[in-house]
Amino acid sequence: MKLDKVIAERKNKTVYRDGNLAIKVFSNEYSKADILNEACNQARVEDCGLNIPRVREVCKIDGKWAIATEYVEGVTLQKMMDDHPEKIDEYLNLFVDLQMQIHAKKVPHLNKLKEKMQRKISETTLDATTRYELHTRLASLPEHDKVCHGDFVPSNVIITPDKKAYIIDWAHVTSGNASADVARTYLTFCLKNKKDIVDKYLNLFCKKSDTAKQYVQKWLPIVAASQSVKGNEEEREFLLSWTNVVDYE
Amino acid sequence: MEKDYGIIDSVEKLSQAMIELKEAQKVFAGYSQSQVDRIFFEAAMAANAQRIPLAKMAVEETGMGIMEDKVIKNHYAAEYIYNKYKDTITCGVIEEDEAYGITKVAEPIGVIAAVIPTTNPTSTAIFKALIALKTRNAIIFSPHPRAKLSTIAAAKVIYEAAVKAGAPEGIIRWIDMPSLDMTNLVMRESDIILATGGPGMVKAAYSSGKPAIGVGAGNTPAIIDESADIVLAVNSIIHSKTFDNGMICASEQSVIADSKIYAKVKKEFKDRGCYFLKEDEIEKVRKTILINGALNAKIVGQSAYKIASLANVKVPEKTKILIGEVESVELSEEFAHEKLSPVLAMYKAKNFADALNKADRLIADGGFGHTSSLYINTVTEKEKTAEFYSRMKTCRILINTPSSHGGIGDLYNFKLAPSLTLGCGSWGGNSVSENVGVKHLLNIKTVAERRQNMLWFRTPEKVYIKKGCLPVALEELKNYYGKKKAFIVTDTFLFENGFTKPITDKLNELGIIHQTFSNVAPDPTLACAKEGALLMNEFKPDVIIALGGGSAMDAAKIMWVLYEHPEADFLDMAMRFADIRKRIYQFPKMGEKAYFVAIPTSAGTGSEVTPFAVITDETSGVKYPLADYELLPDMAIVDADLHMSAPKGLTSASGIDAVSHNLEAIASIMATDYTDGIALMSLKNIFEYLPRAYDNGPNDIEAREKMANAATMAGMAFANAFLGVCHSMAHKLGAFYHIPHGVANALMLDEVLLFNASEVPTKMGTFSQYDHPHTLKRYAMVADYLGLGGKDDEAKLKNLIKALDDLKEKIGIKKSIAEYGIDEKEFLEKLDDMATQAFDDQCTGANPRYPLIEEIKKMYLNAYYGKHEEV
Repeated sequence: MKLDKVIAERKNKTVYRDGNLAIKVFSNEYSKADILNEACNQARVEDCGLNIPRVREVCKIDGKWAIATEYVEGVTLQKMMDDHPEKIDEYLNLFVDLQMQIHAKKVPHLNKLKEKMQRKISETTLDATTRYELHTRLASLPEHDKVCHGDFVPSNVIITPDKKAYIIDWAHVTSGNASADVARTYLTFCLKNKKDIVDKYLNLFCKKSDTAKQYVQKWLPIVAASQSVKGNEEEREFLLSWTNVVDYE
Repeated sequence: MEKDYGIIDSVEKLSQAMIELKEAQKVFAGYSQSQVDRIFFEAAMAANAQRIPLAKMAVEETGMGIMEDKVIKNHYAAEYIYNKYKDTITCGVIEEDEAYGITKVAEPIGVIAAVIPTTNPTSTAIFKALIALKTRNAIIFSPHPRAKLSTIAAAKVIYEAAVKAGAPEGIIRWIDMPSLDMTNLVMRESDIILATGGPGMVKAAYSSGKPAIGVGAGNTPAIIDESADIVLAVNSIIHSKTFDNGMICASEQSVIADSKIYAKVKKEFKDRGCYFLKEDEIEKVRKTILINGALNAKIVGQSAYKIASLANVKVPEKTKILIGEVESVELSEEFAHEKLSPVLAMYKAKNFADALNKADRLIADGGFGHTSSLYINTVTEKEKTAEFYSRMKTCRILINTPSSHGGIGDLYNFKLAPSLTLGCGSWGGNSVSENVGVKHLLNIKTVAERRQNMLWFRTPEKVYIKKGCLPVALEELKNYYGKKKAFIVTDTFLFENGFTKPITDKLNELGIIHQTFSNVAPDPTLACAKEGALLMNEFKPDVIIALGGGSAMDAAKIMWVLYEHPEADFLDMAMRFADIRKRIYQFPKMGEKAYFVAIPTSAGTGSEVTPFAVITDETSGVKYPLADYELLPDMAIVDADLHMSAPKGLTSASGIDAVSHNLEAIASIMATDYTDGIALMSLKNIFEYLPRAYDNGPNDIEAREKMANAATMAGMAFANAFLGVCHSMAHKLGAFYHIPHGVANALMLDEVLLFNASEVPTKMGTFSQYDHPHTLKRYAMVADYLGLGGKDDEAKLKNLIKALDDLKEKIGIKKSIAEYGIDEKEFLEKLDDMATQAFDDQCTGANPRYPLIEEIKKMYLNAYYGKHEEV
């Protein structure tokens, strides 16, 4: 595999293209378990009937773990939104439809969203009272077993020249409550300061899926807490303000 | 030096503590009421003494609420709870009723898991500990991390006082380092959960698999009606909403004022130090109180001034309440939520109906089952009040009462139980809809001793007896009752042969006008009864005289029903009952239009003294057997003059029917000394006089008279003790093959005697006084009374059957169903159906042996072939 054409670069990983393969190479501080888990997650969902690039190989390149998947030719939905802001409604519509298609799937053996959130809340630096409130809130929310992408954002959707939509980056996929997944997308939009589309997105999802907005909102303190575990300093204050809420009595 | 109780800060230690709690509770369960009351007293006194330090501690630790108000809550939790339950019996026998044989015994439940909220960390702990002690339960507290020190302090105060007063060591415990895992463990391992907290905690409680008395969120709306005393209303709301900075879950969250008085209400709020937010300020406060639809922890239990500061709104420091005038009652409006702080929404209602709609919606937003409040003139606006309480889905409906203080009870109404745990019913996902108290922490055992059913003896108010008594008895209709119009019901044969003449002659003499319906055929039909009833409706009689055998009397009873209650439905009236006193259908009241006189012309059916009648729907063939004491005739006239010319076949069939009435009444599970005495005498006379009446009826006055009386007596016996499976089977045999009713009974009688006499029946009848299978003894009693002899009960039964067979032979009854010309193939084909129908007959219920359908089939087969194979 040739690693000369970089197509994306992140903090701990670099993605290269080699012909029809996309090769994600992880830095050495990345946990082996997380890398294998990511490959495994993707392998689990790739047959569920959605357009998902298949895992071709998991290997070590120059002593670094790497996952090679099919390369999808096209542009991200994010770029399309940036390039054609006038078409934002159309793109958001597609975006929500895709997310709902994911939620319509069921895939066995995925990690459970609720367990993951519970763990994340415990890992936060929030005070005991807030963690207690969040744990209690989480415990009271319905579990469900829908496929939740976990990082469903326009940059993880690739539209091919023949207009097919591929969904990539399944590292955070779990099975659980779709509203949690939507809350997570909503939070990401907020963090990226996409004020213009965030409410449009939520309203559109709630309308199309016939979900009460409050139902999604109930997850916001939880996804905010989970985000705060890895979140950077500038996001922290914002995230904490979202988590410092109480249940009614 | 403070005592060391062993810190519970891990799941392992908690598991150990749960074991110790259970041990301590076992000991406590043996305490007497006086020991418990002593502990309850000391614990309440100790909590009361610590009301101020505990209040201080709670405010310091949580940073919420007002110390002086928390003192009131602590005081309340100790004093009001003690006062309410000091004399309540919670140990051992709490209720006894010797006559009914009921004793109720109170037992503790075990270990209570008490989840305590941040809003009332000490008062709720005091409350729960006190009611746990009063009910001999152990209790473990799961405090909220934000308020753990104060909750634990409150628990300790009560625990130390309780132990000092004699409670077992370790009867109260607490988690020192609370976490959801530990809370869940406590709930799983406890016997019952007293969870006070938000919906999340309540849900966790109900998910634990243990019974939970959980309470949830409130979102109390307060409607101010145009009739309300505005000063009282506004000041009550301010008083309530500012109490402990609005942290009581019953506290008002929104005010809905009628547009007609809105301005006055607003002015009163303003004058009393409340601040009305301006439009831009409302928006700022919205964003402060709620974050993404969830309550901001920073505002809970804070002062209005502080909350305004957080929202960058300048208000006077002494502002009591921040009021936002808003329009939407939807969840998208932040002010429509529960706010746990002195922030209030205010709505203008077009009218009372609009106010109700708004309140209804606000409750649905997040206060299902909790509390609602109305300010109104209760004297003039009773209808509105009723509309309010029927509309609101809340378990507490408070009228002219500050809801914080009002909801917890005993402060503004002295019948509402004081409590700091308010049940929200199924609407709030709770198992309790009242204010929680000691009764919810007890298991009540009910000790029920066997008691016997009350029985009765009912018969027409007048039964006139003697040959030649007819005209004498009829005189009463005029002289005593002043009747004017008589309607006579009889059959064609009797009419054409002049049987009605003595009656009509007498009526003419008395000046009672009359009409005769003589169109009754055997097995009377509904059509016939309707025809008669139609005539009755035209004629409007005030007395009905039924003359004839069972058919005429039954038809007349049905006409009576149709005449008095044309709306009555026969299907309903014929509905089977298991116990005539508990029947679902309430039989219509009879006798309001006409008095009913029954005059039998044959000795057998007893219908003149029974509450039964059978009618056939000729269109469907369905028979409606009706049974109710409303159908009991008012007067029966037993005059042998009318019996003298009865033909042999009728004498024989109706005479043997009376035999079966007596034998079934004696065997019945409902037999009494009264029915026994009558039935025995009746039987003795039948055995003696029936053959004579059969052989030489027209000439043997004595035999006719004895038989006439015997048949009516048998009627009295079974009118009260009811019948049994012999009649069940005879009814169907008659219906399937047109065998005369008496003969059908005669054919089944031997089989039923053998069947009922079994000392080891497959199943016995269910009736409290029927304590063991004893029917053999009952038949032996009959044999003795008839002087039939026999060395033991079985021999006596044998002799009784022999005597029955002899009697049947003497009066010309054949020995088997087959001998009556019933085709064997047809009989076998229809047997299953006939047996099932017989099983379902109303008469089956009183039989001492509960028959299986298979057993009924075997009896039918035996009777068909005239053999006695064991069933």
